[in-house]
Amino acid sequence: MARKMRKYGEDVPFSLTSMMDMMTIILVFMIKNIDAEGQLVTQAENLILPVSTSRVQPKEVSLTVIVDNNYVLVDNGKVITTEEVLKQEDLLITSVDSVLKERRQTEQEHALKMGLPADEPGNIIVQIDKNIPYDAMYKVMATCGFAGYTNIAFAVNMKNGGEE
Amino acid sequence: MAKEIKKPARPEEPDLLPAMGLFTILIPMLLSMTAFQKLAIVEVNLPERSMMNMSDEPPPEPDQQSLNLSLAITSDYLVIGARGGFQPNVFFKEMWTFRCKSDAQLITYAPEDVKASVEAGKGPKCKDGKEMDPEKYMYEIESIELWALEKSSEEDPGRVIWAIYSSQGENVPDSVFVDGNNAFLALAGEGTMGLTPPPSLKKPGAGVAVATLAENSARKLKPEDAVRSIIYPLSAYDLIAKDLIAIHTQFIDLDDADNIIVVANDDTQFDKIISLMDRSKAAGFTKVNLAKLGG
Repeated sequence: MARKMRKYGEDVPFSLTSMMDMMTIILVFMIKNIDAEGQLVTQAENLILPVSTSRVQPKEVSLTVIVDNNYVLVDNGKVITTEEVLKQEDLLITSVDSVLKERRQTEQEHALKMGLPADEPGNIIVQIDKNIPYDAMYKVMATCGFAGYTNIAFAVNMKNGGEE
Repeated sequence: MAKEIKKPARPEEPDLLPAMGLFTILIPMLLSMTAFQKLAIVEVNLPERSMMNMSDEPPPEPDQQSLNLSLAITSDYLVIGARGGFQPNVFFKEMWTFRCKSDAQLITYAPEDVKASVEAGKGPKCKDGKEMDPEKYMYEIESIELWALEKSSEEDPGRVIWAIYSSQGENVPDSVFVDGNNAFLALAGEGTMGLTPPPSLKKPGAGVAVATLAENSARKLKPEDAVRSIIYPLSAYDLIAKDLIAIHTQFIDLDDADNIIVVANDDTQFDKIISLMDRSKAAGFTKVNLAKLGG
């Protein structure tokens, strides 16, 4: 017996309704999570930031120092290994200090050109992995202060993803 | 002649293609603007010691009328100090809660057990029996918890104190409940180190008046909140937070009433420092300094 072939009619419409439902759900989810103000800080790779109840947002883009399990990075450039920082006795990390001082000088020159006060304390955001020992964090903070970045802030993840 | 019955026309679907086109443009645009994990900042004052190093001037003499509040953390306990004196130590047992990549479930271990397992070449085990990567298990730590211990002496290993917490689900504690006298709804556990919750500690039912450590949080428990409440080890952070709130309220008139110095050991994880800074700021201490223990 000949096998009955299903005939695909030309008038069968391609239904987009289910696709529209899916798109609507995605759209609503996206709108719920939208951050219209934008993010002035983005999380660095290779580290997990601690969770905090803080909801304070940075007011302007600042220089970022990152301390992960392997390196200390200034503005995404590797400066020294975290192990070396932990081993040293001194509070001041000289290699980080020289990079920061260079950046601070550039910032001050730029401020003078713009007619802004150049002697205001520098702002810096420090991103530290949550498992990094206090010793490394303390040395990095002290170095930032020594280089003229005295307005120090730690980047953290908002508790519950920032939802109330 | 019989009237010809008109066959109902098949309803025509609206042309959705333009809407689909619009959605296809909107979704990638929104995707680029979406923040799945929001970042914030915690502002801090410079470490005391580095400030001293930067200046040649000797540090100012401590004012006898000041509070000079400090909060120290060691590997075993937290302690509040003020005006040269110290409150009783708040002993704790550190515990690491992991979220396994294999099953996305939470599992809690003592750090010494994790380290022993890693030294033996094995990662901590997940609930589904799979092992975490012994080299990357640190990245799976969801939270570092400090379980408060009740101790009768220095030699006493202590017993875990269990308390009632509100929860958002997954048996994860949110806010600890206190009663009308601002006392924790808590009891010491049973068995080895008090790791078994005490049977006499009962969850409050709907309609019972409770509060959290937050200001003006007293309320009657709603049925859905009563169901969601959990019995969980009391956090040493919460014990300290309660004391900090009391101190801030009592000494609000002093000049340095908003100042606190968080003091820690060299090996204290950054996560603990942030947790202590959070609790200090929530208690009203807006100016947080950092210093080293013995530094």
